[in-house]
Amino acid sequence: MKWFEYGDETISDKELLIAVPSTIIGVGILSLPREIAKNTVSADGWLSIFIVGVLFIGFAWIIAKLASTYPHQSFFSYASSLVTRPIATVLTILLALQGFVLTAFVMRVISDIAKEYLFDQTPVEVIALSFLLVVVYAIAGSRAGLFRLNMMFFPIIIFITVLVGGFAVAWFSVDNYLPVFKTDLSGHLKAMQTSSFSFTGLAILLFYTSIVRKPKKAPKMAAIGMAIVPVLYIFIYLLCLGVFGNLATANLNYPIIELAKEIEVPGGFFERFDSIFFVIWIMSIFNTTAMSLDVTVFALESISKLKKIQLLYILAPLIYLVGMFPQDLITVVQLGEFVSYYGVLITIFATVLLVIMSVIKRRRSNV
Amino acid sequence: MAARSIFKRKSKKGISANDENFSRYLDANIDDNLESIKEMLDSPNDLVMRRFHLGEHKCAIVYIDGLSDKATIEENVLKNLEIIERNKKLTSTDKPNLLAIIHEELISLTSIQNVNTMDELMLSLLSGGSVFVLDGVDRVLLLDTKMWENRSIEEPVSESLIRGPREGFVENLRTNMVLLRRQIRDPNLHFKTHEIGRRSKKKLVVAYISGIIHPDILKEVNRRLEAIDTDDALESGFIEQWIEDSFLSPFPQVDNTERPDKAAAGLTQGKFVIILDGTPFVLIAPTTIGNTFQSPEDYYERWLIGTLLRCLRYLAAFITMFLPALYIALVSFHQGMIPSQLAFSIAATREGVPFPAFVEAVLMGVTMELLREAGARLPKTIGQTIGIVGGLVIGEAAVSAGVVSPIMVIVVALTAVASFTLPLYSVAISFRLIRFTFMLAAAFLGLYGIVLTYIMINIHIVNLKSFGVPYSAPFAPTFFRDWDDLILRVPIPMLTKRPEYLQPTDSKAGDKEGKRV
Repeated sequence: MKWFEYGDETISDKELLIAVPSTIIGVGILSLPREIAKNTVSADGWLSIFIVGVLFIGFAWIIAKLASTYPHQSFFSYASSLVTRPIATVLTILLALQGFVLTAFVMRVISDIAKEYLFDQTPVEVIALSFLLVVVYAIAGSRAGLFRLNMMFFPIIIFITVLVGGFAVAWFSVDNYLPVFKTDLSGHLKAMQTSSFSFTGLAILLFYTSIVRKPKKAPKMAAIGMAIVPVLYIFIYLLCLGVFGNLATANLNYPIIELAKEIEVPGGFFERFDSIFFVIWIMSIFNTTAMSLDVTVFALESISKLKKIQLLYILAPLIYLVGMFPQDLITVVQLGEFVSYYGVLITIFATVLLVIMSVIKRRRSNV
Repeated sequence: MAARSIFKRKSKKGISANDENFSRYLDANIDDNLESIKEMLDSPNDLVMRRFHLGEHKCAIVYIDGLSDKATIEENVLKNLEIIERNKKLTSTDKPNLLAIIHEELISLTSIQNVNTMDELMLSLLSGGSVFVLDGVDRVLLLDTKMWENRSIEEPVSESLIRGPREGFVENLRTNMVLLRRQIRDPNLHFKTHEIGRRSKKKLVVAYISGIIHPDILKEVNRRLEAIDTDDALESGFIEQWIEDSFLSPFPQVDNTERPDKAAAGLTQGKFVIILDGTPFVLIAPTTIGNTFQSPEDYYERWLIGTLLRCLRYLAAFITMFLPALYIALVSFHQGMIPSQLAFSIAATREGVPFPAFVEAVLMGVTMELLREAGARLPKTIGQTIGIVGGLVIGEAAVSAGVVSPIMVIVVALTAVASFTLPLYSVAISFRLIRFTFMLAAAFLGLYGIVLTYIMINIHIVNLKSFGVPYSAPFAPTFFRDWDDLILRVPIPMLTKRPEYLQPTDSKAGDKEGKRV
């Protein structure tokens, strides 16, 4: 008889499924419609998101497949068996760094947005610090607990998005979607490039697949989880485009939040829905931050002798410093670009390298 | 922790002082034995020692007046022995043999023990048994003649229902076991007895249905019960706090009830029940956050009503925690969010109020808690007066004096009413406590503070466990099959499976009783 195996530090395949969109959906989507609208004509951008989404679904499947061929082995252990220990160490550090900068960046962005939409006098430093402390508290608990948090918050996030969509119907105009398919190839490529930055975070699969109870199911679950992301992105994108049109969307900083501001909640309980929307979106951003910081801690745990809590004490102040370092919005955007480029590239690099090595190794052992 | 270490120290001292007495063996001489009993108890005046002769043998019956049933002793022991004495049959038999004959043939009681230590003798004597001592034998007979005054079975006061059984547990352990057995006539309903308290030596019973409960839960609870080290467990609350997974958490990880139907439902779901002698509150565990919103009545009413009541309670929990905090956040940070009409009227009523919204809310919140506490402590008839004085007079006066705004009074009153709809008193208190944390967070960081606090509480809940079962189940880890009895309560004929999150051994048995509270 199995004893409460879910009480251990392992996760179910369902939890992995939810963890993928929970990690990826965060601050990226808030500005994604603007970035895409800039480069495409009318509402053609959905095609770009769709193509990138399909690519990333395949990518998620490959990563999970790679990790699940070495069931219940940590990233470091299977990576070192493939590409020798020193290279595995370097890869782990590089991937950990990705989670680290992502956490810092997201923390900074959320504080900036919170200052813009919720407070005008509270300093950004205080907002960021309180957020980081909550994240640290989450990671200090059990790892399985983090995945349960994803499970609890994710439905709320989907719910609020659909709610905004439902209320927005009244402001909707189909004319905004016309004309269709007028964007040239370079525009699409540019849009695809920017939208791929909203898909950072897949690196978690490299690490967390090792604690999934049924690793065989992991690739399928990762792909399904990944599929939620483009669906939600396209939904939000089309929503913004349908209400604001291409031109307005391209000039709004955070179109989806502006959309929430625009709509009117029936019953007249709230004058401005944007604060409510953003406050609930914080849960999603929290999930992103918690997962990426935890994956950093998880990665460093495997190569150092330090304990989880000790690592957390070392990392948290550094994250705060890095996040607070940019002085103005432009530097924040630059940091964001760096985070996205770096995150996508390092994940692709690590995966491709390991997949190739894995294939070579198998060939050799077969011969 | 401090309290725990104090307890430990005390009890350790206690046992070392008593060690020599407790391990002492009985003497063969009746006078010595009786003398040492007297000495140990410091010859209290309720100690009865009836000496008599059985032929030429000296004997005695010892019991404590009031704890033992005199009539039983007279009818079943003394009378029988007198008849024997008249027959004079026993004079020639040797003494140990005589005791055995008396044990087996002459005393007509259902439960008799033959022991030879002072320790066992004292325990029996102090729990209402009587002792038969025979001269020349270093053993005595312990006769079960327990009989003390008990409260009769009454309607449970703390959990009243409109529909449902009217009987509640009482202080007597045996009666409580009977109440459970009357609900479940299954030979697999087992009771495991523990003894709690170094000095009080109270009986504690773990009830479970073997074949349903997961064996590891049982192992764990027995291990924890054996680890309890205290002088006395006055109430099952002591046990609860000793055995729960995290005693620092604001959420109780063990459920308590006065209702046999609720306890029986827990048993059939795959939980265990702890009954402590001397308290009508039995413990049910493992429990999860979902149980907080369940009341036995949900199942007795039709499913639509049950479901609506559930939803109402979830709403009530959110109102209890969030409403005052939302008020503070909206009034002091996000005035723009309030519809303009309402904003004007709030501003108008807050015109003369000298305090910031947070102070106002804390002031009213604390007043409300004071009223509740006063109402609970006073006798019922005066308690109602407190409600009227507090609710109407203070509220009205506070508003007209300009100390608080009328909106604040509405908020506080609504919060209070909402918090009373939660069926579990202990959890309702936790929610009310958490409310103040939310208010503080709202005062510092507005809505942002509220959502961060909400995330923090969720973090706490997902890390919390009740006997190995995650407290957040079946929300997360998600067991969709168990959602039929979570926020919704589907019709009873569809509730055919026991909750999956408890991992019952026998989950597929379509036991229709299986899914009650």
